[in-house]
Amino acid sequence: MQASRARLFKEYKEVQREKTADPDIQLVCDDSNIFKWTALIKGPSETPFEGGVFQLAFAVPEQYPLQPPQVRFLTKIFHPNVHFKTGEICLDILKNAWSPAWTLQSVCRAIIALMAHPEPDSPLNCDSGNLLRSGDTRGYQSMARMYTRLAAMPKKG
Amino acid sequence: MAKRVLCKFFAHGACLKGEHCEFSHDWKDPPNNICTYYQKGVCSYGSRCRYEHVKPSRPESSASSSSMVSLPPTAESSVGVTTVPGVLPELSALSRPYLPPNNPAWNLESGDSGHDDSLEDSDFGELRDLKPADRPICSFAAAGAGNCPRGGKCPHVHGELCPTCGKHCLHPFRPEEREEHIKTCEKKQKHLESLRRSQEIECSVCLDRVLSKPTAAERKFGLLSECDHPFCISCIRNWRNSSATSGVDVNTALRTCPICRKLSYFVIPSVIWYYTPEEKMEIVDSYKGKLRSIDCKHFNFGNGNCPFGTSCFYKHMVKPGSYMWKYHRPPPRRPTARRSNFVDMDSFLDAFEHLIRDDEPDMFDVDFDTDNDHAYRDGRLEEVVLRHLGAEDGDTVIAKDIRLSDFLSNMNIR
Repeated sequence: MQASRARLFKEYKEVQREKTADPDIQLVCDDSNIFKWTALIKGPSETPFEGGVFQLAFAVPEQYPLQPPQVRFLTKIFHPNVHFKTGEICLDILKNAWSPAWTLQSVCRAIIALMAHPEPDSPLNCDSGNLLRSGDTRGYQSMARMYTRLAAMPKKG
Repeated sequence: MAKRVLCKFFAHGACLKGEHCEFSHDWKDPPNNICTYYQKGVCSYGSRCRYEHVKPSRPESSASSSSMVSLPPTAESSVGVTTVPGVLPELSALSRPYLPPNNPAWNLESGDSGHDDSLEDSDFGELRDLKPADRPICSFAAAGAGNCPRGGKCPHVHGELCPTCGKHCLHPFRPEEREEHIKTCEKKQKHLESLRRSQEIECSVCLDRVLSKPTAAERKFGLLSECDHPFCISCIRNWRNSSATSGVDVNTALRTCPICRKLSYFVIPSVIWYYTPEEKMEIVDSYKGKLRSIDCKHFNFGNGNCPFGTSCFYKHMVKPGSYMWKYHRPPPRRPTARRSNFVDMDSFLDAFEHLIRDDEPDMFDVDFDTDNDHAYRDGRLEEVVLRHLGAEDGDTVIAKDIRLSDFLSNMNIR
């Protein structure tokens, strides 16, 4: 408990210090609870998520960093490895390949990488996975782009 | 001037009394490890005292300092004074109770030899007449930066500058002593240097500097055998032992380096970090050497079954009359009281004990059974076959092969 708090505090200071280091990630700690974080990440360019801003919710366990944080998308996203309803993310480093050397910041980076490189073979969103697996890249991209426009972009005008 | 006990302050290069010190300034003399409080009757440390508790063996009046520490006087002692003929008779007159000293020793000495307590003592003249190798080194010069207050008149040899520690403590005429000093000094310096460099190093798990942790137990590195990434010993051990609660893979994540994911089978504690492979080797070897001197609690002198077998780091000593001694193989595994997180493994082993026992390679037995023989030679020695498990209702269940390493990786034995 004490260890996780100390470690999160370190990460908090690091985030404060290097706010501008990674313009794609904006990591914010809950004002009253250091175990709750939210992050805003930009959709990677040359993907259907480009231009969108996605919100992530982090729930950090007390055993952190020996256990991975629980991360889910708050913004709706059409991606084979993200549950369409709950926002749950299927990513090995958040499950069985976790390492205590990962930080919240690097988890965000891994999620951005996952958005650019979906893994259709272990889908949480079967519709999205099936589109990709059947080779319908165009269909996947247009669906993903549509949901990005609908959910992850500021409403215009 | 029977100076037979090494001066504690001189040993640290900081005795301010110089020649007037009542203790010996000769490295060949043994240090006094006798508790003076105990000899006076009361030592509040009792059995935990780090000094020896020796009862005064002789009446104090007749005891010279050397007999009090119950060490034979070193005849070849090169203090110098004792070897000069003509000074020796004076020694007996000087014999005085060593413990407890009633008067400051320097007053005693100068009074007895009929001189004032001055720097221009006649002893010094005698000292000057000695061979240079017999003259003791000047501790004033050794302690300070070579500025002995007596300057050129000093009867002692002024040591040469040790390049490592910066003290004038190298005796110009005693080559062995010089070598010894340089060797220990360099070793000490190297340790300090690596300790200084280690200060900056951060653990990637807690993101703290390892040597800035609050308690001394935490201020230790945990070295991984296969890679060079630094961690606190507690962080890396906690991580490697956390399998029970998290769903993390044992062999692809837990046993690997959190940074580079190289699989390491053991962690080596160390107070310093290393910069060269040789330094790492040295740390690992000294750690293994230390463990080899400790008896393995699983092996239990031949009465227990160590899961690590011959590759165990701890000492496997077979006591006459033990199980190993009689049967030349380790005893079957027994349920033992262990910490709670190991219970699962234990009960598993207990359940299949009778099946495992027969097929398990007997690592201690040199004369392998003939039917097991080729299995050892062709490299499949760690395979344990658990095919036919008799269920309670009489059915035979066919189980898949289980590797011994799977057992071992789950055992969590340090």
